[in-house]
Amino acid sequence: MKKDTRWAMVIDLRKCVGCHSCSVACKAENDVPPSVFRSWVKIIEKGKYPNVSKSFLPSLCNNCENPICVRNCPVGASYKREDGIVLVDPHRCIGCKYCMASCPYDVRHINPIRKIVQKCYFCHHRVDAGLLPACVETCIGRARVFGDMNDPNSDVAKLLATEPVIVLKPEMATEPRVFYIGADIDAMEPMEGHTEE
Amino acid sequence: MDIQVVYNTPHEIPLGVPIAVYFYLTGLSAGSFVISVIAVLGGRKEYKPLGRIGAIVAPVALIVAPAFLIVDLEQPMRFWHLFVFMNPQSPITYGSFLLTLYPINGIIYAWFLFRGEQALAKILGLLGIPLAICTHGYTGFILALGKGRALWSTALMPTLFIVSAMVSGMGLMIVLATLRWKYFSKGRPPEALAQDRQLILGLGKILGGCVLFDLFLIGNDILVLLTSKTEELAVAHLILTGRFAPLFVGVEIFLGGIIPALLVFLPVTSRRVRYCFLASCLTLVGILAMRIVVVIAGQSIPLH
Repeated sequence: MKKDTRWAMVIDLRKCVGCHSCSVACKAENDVPPSVFRSWVKIIEKGKYPNVSKSFLPSLCNNCENPICVRNCPVGASYKREDGIVLVDPHRCIGCKYCMASCPYDVRHINPIRKIVQKCYFCHHRVDAGLLPACVETCIGRARVFGDMNDPNSDVAKLLATEPVIVLKPEMATEPRVFYIGADIDAMEPMEGHTEE
Repeated sequence: MDIQVVYNTPHEIPLGVPIAVYFYLTGLSAGSFVISVIAVLGGRKEYKPLGRIGAIVAPVALIVAPAFLIVDLEQPMRFWHLFVFMNPQSPITYGSFLLTLYPINGIIYAWFLFRGEQALAKILGLLGIPLAICTHGYTGFILALGKGRALWSTALMPTLFIVSAMVSGMGLMIVLATLRWKYFSKGRPPEALAQDRQLILGLGKILGGCVLFDLFLIGNDILVLLTSKTEELAVAHLILTGRFAPLFVGVEIFLGGIIPALLVFLPVTSRRVRYCFLASCLTLVGILAMRIVVVIAGQSIPLH
């Protein structure tokens, strides 16, 4: 692995069919218990018949460049690797849940069996072995692209350089490393589709 | 436009009622400690009982409070990690040291106070005031640095927490001082009782002032939320007109704020200890509601 590697994912929503294969692959690969998810596809419907459409938003941990969860973790259990992947040390986490309360994306969960906080780690065990993350490997539309955004020859870097991309909640200054092409603003906006409580 | 969320997987809210109760107890402790020290430093003889009540309440509340924190951990047996693997950027790291130092200081302060060693008690009391304020102020920072949550992420939060701590601490002191005045005053001379009565009514006025300042801060917070971004607006509507309105508008603002302020300032009720007592009980309930609203409503806005 090169020294300045920065792993990133581009999700091309023009190719996503909303099949949830990524959610299933993630569960199987990472032993994610029932009731919690590290990768999921939010689906919205909009419009009135006959002018209707469906939008998908595959979601996972953004493995931010500037992660608030790492900053706020009192015991240093959440940390960022040199290649940008944000991890949780399972032996050090005390389960105070402050990272979950701070995360602007609600991507962390308590593992109800192991009683620690977990999240998507870009399948770092596969990446370290030279494989792709499970969700990328399994995506039938090839909507997910994973690679080193600092390597100009990688597919991720090429897409970032040539396509209009967007991240979730850029105003949070977390600098997410999951980028979207063709994402629907109504799917990205958490309050859309929720009736006034 | 018609938009429906067809499928989504929101996670359970991470922090619940135990955390709100923990905030409440540290607030009670910090407030009553500060008042106890002011009473001791003020040096006037009639304030003495107040100093002693506060000196007992503060460490007791702060020994119970961290129990809620540890029980709320998913791995309670690993709580010692907080003292070994410190992250200097996290407010919880500061908190774990404050939560250790402050009650120890409070116990030694109470010890000297009850032994009658005023000079030492005053020194420890003065040391304890910044500790007490930091111990409660840091809980405000915990929320303020949770930048994903619109209701929490405001620089007003630590100040709001300290002022509400003063309100609840003062409320508890008045309740205890009134109970002492009413039920544990056998054989005391009538002029001492009259002095106690004046003291309770005077404290009531200070409580009223703190309540008004608290309401002012909450008002500022809400006004800014109402002219802010999508999630800020959503959470403002959630607490003003939504699911949390009975608890926020009804209990926190009305029962725990406006009514106690009226009770201690209106001439009709301000000269009676029973109304002062009632006002104090109401502020105690109001501040508990405030802690619950901040913690739970703050996490009730969907993030994805």
